[in-house]
Amino acid sequence: MIEASNIRAGYGDGPDILQDISMTASAREIVTILGPNGCGKSTLLKTVAGFVRPRGGAIRINGEGAETVPIHEKVRHYGVGYVPQTDNVFRTMTVTENLLMGARDLSRDTRNERFEALMTQYPTLANKRRRKASALSGGERQILSLARALMAGPRILLLDEPSAGLSPAMMHDVFEAIGRIRDAQDMCILMVEQNAYEALSISDRAYVLSLGKVALTARSADLLNDPAMERLYLGGDPDA
Amino acid sequence: MIQFLFDTVIRALDLALIAVALSGVYSLIKFPNVALVQYSVTGAFLGMLLQQAGLPLLVALPLSAALVGLLAMLFNVLLFERLLEEGSAIALIGSLALSMILSAVFLLAFGPAAYRFDLPVAPAMRFMGARVTVHQLSTLAITLVSLGGFAAILFFTRLGREMRATATNCVLAAASGIGTRGVINATVFISGVLAALGGMTLAMRGSVSIDLGTQMLLPVFAAAILGGLGNALGAIAGALVISAAETFVTNTNFGPLFGQDFLFAPASYAQTASFALLVLFLLFRPAGLFTSEVNRV
Repeated sequence: MIEASNIRAGYGDGPDILQDISMTASAREIVTILGPNGCGKSTLLKTVAGFVRPRGGAIRINGEGAETVPIHEKVRHYGVGYVPQTDNVFRTMTVTENLLMGARDLSRDTRNERFEALMTQYPTLANKRRRKASALSGGERQILSLARALMAGPRILLLDEPSAGLSPAMMHDVFEAIGRIRDAQDMCILMVEQNAYEALSISDRAYVLSLGKVALTARSADLLNDPAMERLYLGGDPDA
Repeated sequence: MIQFLFDTVIRALDLALIAVALSGVYSLIKFPNVALVQYSVTGAFLGMLLQQAGLPLLVALPLSAALVGLLAMLFNVLLFERLLEEGSAIALIGSLALSMILSAVFLLAFGPAAYRFDLPVAPAMRFMGARVTVHQLSTLAITLVSLGGFAAILFFTRLGREMRATATNCVLAAASGIGTRGVINATVFISGVLAALGGMTLAMRGSVSIDLGTQMLLPVFAAAILGGLGNALGAIAGALVISAAETFVTNTNFGPLFGQDFLFAPASYAQTASFALLVLFLLFRPAGLFTSEVNRV
């Protein structure tokens, strides 16, 4: 579903943060992007999403060239759902309004059906559906952000550090929710994460980035036992 | 007392349309566009020219407002979108420069004289003891309909929901499939329309000259800041507070305080009230009158 080839990208007049990165992600799989701080994980996700325009290379979604397509068109055209790392809810809106923002183009029946399904799936949101999002805890906001993206019925889900700032218990709940989404819906999930072991435990494949390049790629189960992964993830020399 | 209330409401409505426009745009693009007060002057001059060209007032007013809305959108696309890439301070300075350029264009085109709409002279009426004119009532109606229309767009339409979402979180709005650039341009258009209507209602009750923008700048900013910059409807409450202070300064007989029968402050002192309130709010309540949002961290 997603195929990025030889991507170069950066911000403003600054240097390339992504240097010749290639990666793929297919339906029914979770692909995790790992790496130390500053290696370009979030930039890669933002480039795939359409927030950052690549300076070189190609991004194909469902076989179509999509490197210059902005995020709001990717949402409509390719069914992309994006969950940002921070500022991931509409703070001045209620939980219900947040969810409905993700379903603007749906028919009333589909919207109501998905809304009720999500309320059943995430009781913590159901209990606070009339509360302002600003009054939710960090974990609840993360769940709300995920649920907002799911309201649109995405075929591709891009998650930017879904466990950022969460307690271990809440983190476990969030990862479990992500795993269930992959299993229940034939979705392609591309996820950037810092918590490598939690993320690898639910994902199918992973790319480990180092200094803007893909240093390692393998099946998640293999990476969990690979000593090179630990060196890379801790910022060590990939050739050591 | 009724006269005081009526004068306060009329003055508040003078400020409200332009302050709402200023706050509405600020909520989306995070810089206070000083040029908005000149858009209101543009609207007033344009409305008068259209009336002089033979159009009935009921056609000239909305047509002028729509043209100013388009002009505001054009300036946004050609100028402010680019300046904002360099930061909001640069955009603010750019809007100040645009404001001065527009003022110079008005001076060149119209000179320093004051102009009036061609309206029939109507005697004042008495309403619950207060003196009111037909022009005051008609501008009151125009302002209330415009503000009601804006509130209806904001809370009951798809565009309004998209405007509120974009104002709250632009990145997330885009990630929800909202074309945020289009939403911002629609809001800029609406703000231009409101500012132009504000300028025309002012001119309908008095006159318009090149000084109008400068005279409106401080009270409009004070109203927008009091209402919470970025809170479009809060700006209406801000306008009421500023107007009450201005009306109090200009309508109160301070004579007994100084052992005289009558002592009224000159009208030019009204701006002092705006200034004093603005400074007090900036010192003690910089987020404005309404700051009820709960934030968990």
